[in-house]
Amino acid sequence: MTVHSGDAAASRTSAPLVKLRQIHKSFGSNHVLKGVDLTVEKGQHIVIFGPSGSGKSTLLRVMNLLEAPQSGSVWFDGKEYGPGMAGEKLAKGRPRALRKQVGMVFQQFNLFPHLTALENVALALRRVKSIHREEAELAAATYLDRVGLLAKLGSYPSLLSGGQQQRVAIARALVMEPQVMLFDEPTSALDPELVGEVLYTMRALAETGMTMVVVTHEMGFAREVGDLNIFMDEGTIVEQGDAGIFSDAQEPRTRAFIKAIL
Amino acid sequence: MISFLLVAQATFRWEFIWDNRVIFLDGVRLTIFIALVAFTLATVAGLGVALLRMSKNRIIQPVMAAYINIFRAVPLLVFIVFVYYGIAIQFELSITAIQAGIFALTLQYSAWLGEIFRSGIQAIPHGQREAALSVGMSRVQTFFRVILPQAIRIVIPPTGNMFIGMIKDSSLVYLIGVPELFRVSFRLANRTFRYFEVYLAVVLIYLFLTTAVYFGVKYLERRFALVDLLTSKSRSWSPLSRRRVEKLRALQLAVTVAKEKGKTEEDLAGHTADIESLEYEPLADKNQEEGSTPT
Repeated sequence: MTVHSGDAAASRTSAPLVKLRQIHKSFGSNHVLKGVDLTVEKGQHIVIFGPSGSGKSTLLRVMNLLEAPQSGSVWFDGKEYGPGMAGEKLAKGRPRALRKQVGMVFQQFNLFPHLTALENVALALRRVKSIHREEAELAAATYLDRVGLLAKLGSYPSLLSGGQQQRVAIARALVMEPQVMLFDEPTSALDPELVGEVLYTMRALAETGMTMVVVTHEMGFAREVGDLNIFMDEGTIVEQGDAGIFSDAQEPRTRAFIKAIL
Repeated sequence: MISFLLVAQATFRWEFIWDNRVIFLDGVRLTIFIALVAFTLATVAGLGVALLRMSKNRIIQPVMAAYINIFRAVPLLVFIVFVYYGIAIQFELSITAIQAGIFALTLQYSAWLGEIFRSGIQAIPHGQREAALSVGMSRVQTFFRVILPQAIRIVIPPTGNMFIGMIKDSSLVYLIGVPELFRVSFRLANRTFRYFEVYLAVVLIYLFLTTAVYFGVKYLERRFALVDLLTSKSRSWSPLSRRRVEKLRALQLAVTVAKEKGKTEEDLAGHTADIESLEYEPLADKNQEEGSTPT
């Protein structure tokens, strides 16, 4: 693994928020993650890119335990999630406790089609945080306003464009006030003309200081927002660094991939 | 055909049906009762069957698969006779023919409905479950708040079919002596020899019942259709949805007012086009205007 002089990351006062330690994950005989280590610091914006099948989405999904690692662990806020390392004794947390603190935005939006935009955003406030309906809906409407969709609060997802759906999905995750937001190829399923509005929202979110981990091939976004850009291939982190990685990558595999997608 | 109608007019007495309406009404009442009770029980049991059938447990899963196979394989009429004469009478169980009939109908329909519900639940994309879990919902909450409501919409039409089937199949319990519509009609016809009038009436009554269900299902499908609450005119007649729309507009207003006061954070969208297109007049005022305008 080659490490670039990560100026932005290094100058930050180091306050780890999430630590992935020696994550291994296999689906059957397919070894997707081969002992990945990654530390996410508070306020950091991490961009993960790499060819399909490189394990980048799986790595993201391990961070909120939608995929349980076979070995290794997710450390978050003093608690350990996952099987951990041999011979270690740490306070184990339940996946639900972790997920309440970690927001996730999916490639396919995954809005609840039977609920209005407002109900989509308010659902978890009411059911997970047990907030009273009136209060939850006001909070949900406020977050819909922040993503510019106050006018659409009574619409069902099927009546919204892809970009609007993805912004509702962002509001749905944000309303829980997570410590870190995970984005799994948030613009890959969008028509080209709708990518901009979602990236704008994500950029604005980054400016508020939200900790973000983004799997994306939007290199413009990565250059601008990414403090730490990570290139993954075949289940390992091949190279990581600041925006410099896009102009002078050290590893041939990284160079080849960047050349192919730019 | 014409000669048939002439004969019919000459010899058939239609008022005969009306004169015996009490008999028919009692029969219909019991038919509806049996169909409703058996179908309600079968729906609840069917949901259980569907959930257990999807279990990953190595014992429960094949047991439920066998349950479904067995109850679907035996003819309903044979099964009803078996439950009542073969079991209830033979072993002197203290249950009535009506209870035995409802029990038999419930068991068979729970197997059919279980398969319908399972297909509905499995039709929901995996991402729905992941999205619900990712915001911290439990597995039970995810099922009842996210998966089931969507599955219900999918299974409404086939479940409506099953309810129509239940109304028709409830006539089979005539064989164990339950005085539902078909049995009382059967006896009336045999007693009076007015076969044509009686059985025509029975046919029409069943047709009426099942048609009512058909329209009920159609209404449900429309009721569950997804529309934009703020712009849709299709539901403006309903006071309930009017109230909902008023609440939504009030919410929009509250958020906008709060933002103007600078209490909420800056938006993440970078434009205000959507907000400008809002209409904030509450519905109540509009109504007053309309009411006061002379026509």
